[in-house]
Amino acid sequence: MTFFRPFLKRLGGMAITLVAMSILIFLLVELMPGDAAQRVLGQSATPQAVAALRESMGLNDPVWVRYGRWASGMLRGDLGTSLYMRGVPIASIFWRKVGNSLVLAMLALLFYVPLSIVFGVLAGVKAGKLTDSIISFFGLATMALPEFVSGIILMTVFAVKLAWFPITSVIPIGESVWNNLDILILPALSITFVMFGYVSRMQRSSMISVMNSDYIRSAVLKGMPMRKVIFRHALKNALLPTITIIGMNMGWLFGGLIVVETLFGFPGLGSLTMSAVKTQDTPLIEVCALFITAVFVVSTAITDLLYGFLNPRIRYPGGS
Amino acid sequence: MRRVWYIAKRNPLIFPALIIILFWLLAAVVGPSRMAFSYTAMDMDHQMTAPGMGGHFMGTDSLGRDIWSRIVFGSRSILTIALLTSLFSSLAGVVLGFTAGYFGGRIDALFLRAMDIMMAVPPLVLSMVVLGVLGNSNILTLTLIVSIAYTPATARVARGALLSCKNIEYVDAARLRGESHLYIMFREILPNTIGPIIVEVTARFAYSIMMVASLGFLGVGLQPPTPDWGMMVIENKTIIKAAPWAVLYPSLAIASLVIAISLFSDFLSKVVIRDQ
Amino acid sequence: MTSKPLLDIHNLNVVYETPSGSIVAIRDLSLELRANEAMGIIGESGCGKSTLSYAILDYLPPNARRSGSIMFNGDDLLLKTEKEMQNYRGDRIAMVYQNPYSALNPSLTIGEQLDEVTRVHRGFPRTQAREESIKALKDLSLGEAEGIVRRYPHQVSGGIQQRICIAMALLCQPDIMILDEPTTALDVTTEASILDIIGELKERHRMSLIYISHDIGVVNKISDRIAVMYRGEVVELGPQEELFDHPRHPYTRALINCMPRAGVKKETTRLNTIPGYVTRRSADERGCPFASRCEKRNAVCEEIYGLREIESGHLAACDRAYADDVSEKKAAIPLVPKAKSPAGAGATGGWSGTKDSSAAADAGGFGTVGPDTATTPLIRLEKVYKYYRNRKRTVRALDGIDAKIEKHDVLGVVGESGCGKSTMGHLVAGLLAPTKGNIYFEGKDISATWQRRSGDTIRDIQLVFQNPGRSLNPSFSVEQILDRPIKKMLKIRSRRERRAMVIDLLKKVDLGEEYLSRPSTRLSGGEKQRIAVARAFVTSPRLIVCDEPTSALDVSVQASVLNLLGELQEQSHTSYLFISHDLNVVNYISDHILVMYLGRVCEYGLRDEVVNPPYHPYTEALLSSAPDVNPSHKQKPIRLEGAPPDPSARIVGCPFAGRCHKKIDDLCDTTPPPLKRLSETHYIFCHLSEDHLKGSAHL
Repeated sequence: MTFFRPFLKRLGGMAITLVAMSILIFLLVELMPGDAAQRVLGQSATPQAVAALRESMGLNDPVWVRYGRWASGMLRGDLGTSLYMRGVPIASIFWRKVGNSLVLAMLALLFYVPLSIVFGVLAGVKAGKLTDSIISFFGLATMALPEFVSGIILMTVFAVKLAWFPITSVIPIGESVWNNLDILILPALSITFVMFGYVSRMQRSSMISVMNSDYIRSAVLKGMPMRKVIFRHALKNALLPTITIIGMNMGWLFGGLIVVETLFGFPGLGSLTMSAVKTQDTPLIEVCALFITAVFVVSTAITDLLYGFLNPRIRYPGGS
Repeated sequence: MRRVWYIAKRNPLIFPALIIILFWLLAAVVGPSRMAFSYTAMDMDHQMTAPGMGGHFMGTDSLGRDIWSRIVFGSRSILTIALLTSLFSSLAGVVLGFTAGYFGGRIDALFLRAMDIMMAVPPLVLSMVVLGVLGNSNILTLTLIVSIAYTPATARVARGALLSCKNIEYVDAARLRGESHLYIMFREILPNTIGPIIVEVTARFAYSIMMVASLGFLGVGLQPPTPDWGMMVIENKTIIKAAPWAVLYPSLAIASLVIAISLFSDFLSKVVIRDQ
Repeated sequence: MTSKPLLDIHNLNVVYETPSGSIVAIRDLSLELRANEAMGIIGESGCGKSTLSYAILDYLPPNARRSGSIMFNGDDLLLKTEKEMQNYRGDRIAMVYQNPYSALNPSLTIGEQLDEVTRVHRGFPRTQAREESIKALKDLSLGEAEGIVRRYPHQVSGGIQQRICIAMALLCQPDIMILDEPTTALDVTTEASILDIIGELKERHRMSLIYISHDIGVVNKISDRIAVMYRGEVVELGPQEELFDHPRHPYTRALINCMPRAGVKKETTRLNTIPGYVTRRSADERGCPFASRCEKRNAVCEEIYGLREIESGHLAACDRAYADDVSEKKAAIPLVPKAKSPAGAGATGGWSGTKDSSAAADAGGFGTVGPDTATTPLIRLEKVYKYYRNRKRTVRALDGIDAKIEKHDVLGVVGESGCGKSTMGHLVAGLLAPTKGNIYFEGKDISATWQRRSGDTIRDIQLVFQNPGRSLNPSFSVEQILDRPIKKMLKIRSRRERRAMVIDLLKKVDLGEEYLSRPSTRLSGGEKQRIAVARAFVTSPRLIVCDEPTSALDVSVQASVLNLLGELQEQSHTSYLFISHDLNVVNYISDHILVMYLGRVCEYGLRDEVVNPPYHPYTEALLSSAPDVNPSHKQKPIRLEGAPPDPSARIVGCPFAGRCHKKIDDLCDTTPPPLKRLSETHYIFCHLSEDHLKGSAHL
């Protein structure tokens, strides 16, 4: 029971964050200059038509009424209708694109999590040596590069010069992302670049601090072979902060998707958000922003839970 | 000073990094007045010219505009915005983070909750949505929005730095002679946290360049015809097969600047950490 | 005595390469350890004691270079590869460290960490390894071993953690066990029982021990021979009693004499001090390592060094040792009488003339319990409670204590960690406010924090912290540190006037003008604490709360700070609330002593009343656990069982009942101990009769 209490608290925090963020997003988008009804009907519409549409869209109600309507719709899974694509229900396109992005994100995770842990641990164990310098510099450089810069570099080399992969990652109409996995490689690699830098550096520094700890000294001076010291004694503790970082950055990863998907023209959540902003499609912007927030909040909560589960000091609190 | 030199010798990458940073600073300050081409001038005889042809050092884009001139002019805006952003967000971060950390209790809990909420949206998404909604970005709005988007992160760093000093006994000693909160925060604690804060400012500088470039790339940054590194990449992406230099050179400009600043920040943190 | 040595260290050198040049950590060190021998190694911090033990096991940072030889059973350990060393570590040579909490891996169970030792070195299968581990734990009288192996390190107390570390070291029946300050992080009662166990195990397993400590008293209890280290060299080596009775090296002599110990009191004795502090040693330095701090140095000292035999088995690295300096030999513990010490200091109740006023006040009674006093004490605590609450539990740091501090008097407060002594100090100083109860300063209620105290009260009560490195702002210079309180609290505007006052203060604490511009980070520990003391005296306060002011310092520096505090108190007519875990220190400096346990008072009285029978059973246990510098004092030890109870638990009876060796069954658990007045000035909270309170321990 004591184990679940922090989890319940976490749930409460999640709810507060989500509600607060939804209010902020809603207000922000409402502040958008110009009139939604006018935008739907175009500049040539008569004032009467605009007024009628305003009435039917409920735009004349006070802000909090509109928020309530919108929020309750969200809770029921009703994502509303797009402004730009006249009357198309958002749900009909949204979930498919989220699915595409999810595949891309998973592929990126599959690349960068093992890579950055392996190289981070290696750099940490070899701290101060040449191996460490090379890995650290590479991590620093890739972390600093915006996704579209590493994307362009990858694109120029592998798509333009070598022509191994297509330049754009468009999914042909009627096909699913699963039949076109080759288009995912370059976008996933662009994300991997940034995340690799971030996570491997984190892994390196936590490995170094663990390797300098008293309990590693005990393990070495008990006569444990180096392999056991690293894998049994050090890694278990050094992975904890990395897990937190990976989880916390799930939101960041979805932010990165916007850039990468725009660069490669990949039909996912990111490019959808981008086009929603470009076309000032208010309902769609709200849905996308809220979804990205939810991803962050949920992944943070899962991370916390996982961290608590893996860390005996939290799993078995107190003691005598 | 001797120690700084010792660390520099063991991290020789700091030297090219400093040269690159100086180069871009110089480019931003005196470069624009020395360009052979204006950043808007369209050379109709040389469209999508390869680097070196027709006096175009880095070639031209589809409209015949000189890439090198546009990069040099573009360095001005990106450096200005990034510098201002890193300073503003750090300043705001120190004020907020110090206040919350120092007073603790409810103020701190409220602060942490607010920061949690702010951080639930990635800064890039936040800035993009806000800028997109406002439309027509300029240096002022860009600086402001990016600063706000980064403040939660800097505030957390500042709060952490303060908390590492707050419970040290010299703070208690100051309290026991009746010093004011402001004196304790800024005279007793700040000098001892200045190292990590300076490191944060430089790291934030690199992040700001990343962010401003990305916003430009997404088309919500500075508006044409003002040259913007990120925007140059997306503008010319369609001609990447015919004129790869038009996207590659702006990308490399961004890469060189951000990596150099990150190296500098990394170096600073090594200097500072050994100090304590 | 002539048996072949088990470990033979010959001309060992350890040098660190650093950005600022080479630093010699160990120089030409030779040492032999025989089978079943306990070798104690003492010295101040930075003398290379720990480096020596890590050099034996080849666990030094990458910038360290070793040379010489370390022969173990005929093999030179310096020539072994990393892989070969793994067969020695934990198997033939095992080690126990200072901080048991951080020495155990937080994410492996205790059993997992124990089992792997025999699994790796002996190739035992899982079940057999577990049996061995449980056996080893039971060997250390950890009864519920089967339960302990399934727990994680953070789930057991510090004392048990250290026993687990020792059990781990014993698993392969090593030839040598190296113990590096194994009890320094523990309370004295826990320390005493761990020391007993170590001594007993050594005999049972016929091991050799290397016992490293800064504490002469601790080393004394355990060692057959003792090596004194100073700046990377052994300066003296000899059989334990011989070394203490006839120390030959000036450093050994100085070190023994600067420790406060039984019978040494401020009225009669100034503690011996060693000028200067331990400095780093560069590669080209020659001669005796102690020369720069030695009172007896001459030209030869700059050249000669190295041990020579003085008597059979007693070696010292000083040519002074050859001289048969009879007068010095007799005065192994010289008592330098204080110049203005008033006559009449006796064993009990012999109070110097200056204390008459306070003695009169004492007649009044204890806190509010007795009849009202003729003169009000300087500070009176009346039923003071301090609770720390968080969501999970309430910790009762102070559970209704009464206490008082007389004018121009030193009240020493002693007790183990968690007894509330620091909380009490912080309440009086105004860093905290009591949860309940009142604190009076000359009858005026000051039960509030600094925010609510008047300027006068703030000026009148100052605080000296435990760790001077933390109480001085590292970004300020010495002048800035002393100037600010003068400006802020004394409101002196003139810069020149303030500068003169700062110089005056520096002079008071025996520091010169050249310190003015020195950054506080560039001071030694002792200098820092002097500055902190000077800062406390800026406002000429009526009371200074000294919160473990010497615990972070080396013994030689501790002595000089204690001398300084004693002198300043004598001159300034200030009172001290002197908090320490070290009974010897409290005994030296205090006029009255208050013994605390778990947030309550056990005993209060004049110093000599408290440290002599009759006393509270807890005081008796503390006295009997305190390591004694003089090896000829043999006493029947009293060992407390178990750890102090959880401070968040509500205790109805006597808080000490659970560990008391004189417990009267149910009564102590269910009824709070009554106040027993043994004399006008001496009070004990205990159910026992006065006869029962007359124990056997003494200081």
